[in-house]
Amino acid sequence: MNAVVTFALLIPRNLCVFILRIYRAVISPLYGDVCRYYPSCSHYTLQAIQQHGVIRGVWLGSRRLLRCHPWAEGGIDDIPARRHDRYQITRFGFVIAASHERG
Amino acid sequence: MDLFAFFGNLLWPIKWVIEAILVAFHEILTFFGMDADAGLTWVLSIVGLVLVVRAALIPVFVRQIKSQRRMMEVAPQLKKIQDKYKGKKDQFSREAMSRETMAMYKNAGTNPFSSCLPLLLQMPIFFGLFSVLRNAQLEGNAPGVGLLNAELSESFGTSSLFDIAPLHLAISTAEGNVAVIITAVIMVILMTGSQFITQLQIMSKNQSAEMKASPMYRQQRIMLYLLPLVFAFSGFTFPLGVMFYWLVSNFWTMGQQFLVIRNMPTPGSEAALAREARLAKRNQRKGIVEETPDAGTIVIEEPKNPQREQPVSKNRAKKKQGKKK
Repeated sequence: MNAVVTFALLIPRNLCVFILRIYRAVISPLYGDVCRYYPSCSHYTLQAIQQHGVIRGVWLGSRRLLRCHPWAEGGIDDIPARRHDRYQITRFGFVIAASHERG
Repeated sequence: MDLFAFFGNLLWPIKWVIEAILVAFHEILTFFGMDADAGLTWVLSIVGLVLVVRAALIPVFVRQIKSQRRMMEVAPQLKKIQDKYKGKKDQFSREAMSRETMAMYKNAGTNPFSSCLPLLLQMPIFFGLFSVLRNAQLEGNAPGVGLLNAELSESFGTSSLFDIAPLHLAISTAEGNVAVIITAVIMVILMTGSQFITQLQIMSKNQSAEMKASPMYRQQRIMLYLLPLVFAFSGFTFPLGVMFYWLVSNFWTMGQQFLVIRNMPTPGSEAALAREARLAKRNQRKGIVEETPDAGTIVIEEPKNPQREQPVSKNRAKKKQGKKK
């Protein structure tokens, strides 16, 4: 039961992850490496959505996009860390319930 | 569709400016006696729009070139990082490598990338032209957000190039209109050609040996052969009017690139050597003797030697330091 709820809760997040993965596979390569930051804006947003959920993730991602312009200093800019990870991330990037739940 | 509406609102100011520029050029051309409803007038207005937009983006471009110049200074550090991760192709090593590279750029106060903003700025122009021409196709001629009123919008949307190729049609919507198909195909060929020349110019002439060894270079090469497909697809889907914007923009990039490579080549690239040779020749012609014969012979005999001296001399300096210790 718990697993079903978790899965349903994670659907919006995983939908965004899927869209971003498609974007990063198809559209990003079209203009090559241009981002002044590491991780790049799309990677940053992907991580933010994976770890903080859609609402906070999109907010963080949008703020990053605004920070990224030709006059920005650039450099390393990681997403704010989450205190504890409840979920596990698959190789593709989908967020799933951790397999070793302590209950 | 809601997503489009959201972006539409977000891009409102940019759209307004675009329309203003487009209408301004249209007014000027009409003032000088061109037919207000002719396709050619609107195409030339689009050309004017490209000129203004690209001219406005020149500072961004210049900044990018300047930081690329400074890349030469950090080349030894970059090489060190690349050597450290040589042969390590797994995801974690590669991520660690780009992280270190980025940190190094930041320390050096330079960055070869221009961010995606210049690309993003061109997007609303695309969307704007696209929606105006699309509206015209769907009959109900909705006016733009600013100076492009209903009347002008209809004129733009219903205009045909030389009265045979409507600007709002694409190959997919042409329904057998031969003029549209031929125009679109010619444009796709020209776009592919100009893009090819631009990329080849950069890749074969304006990149130093370090750049050519980087994975970025390989990526660029893949792009070179992928883009014709993208253009063919866009020629199929996008209206002629949008294609004209893209085509002229491509031509601008090509010209800009040519001038940059000729006059401000990347140090250590073939183009830089060609420029040195050219300058030497000109000095000779003017009768300035100095060390020109010297430079001339070096360039002819071993074109790559004088350039490699830069990193070597730095290494030497480091070796000396090492010996002192």
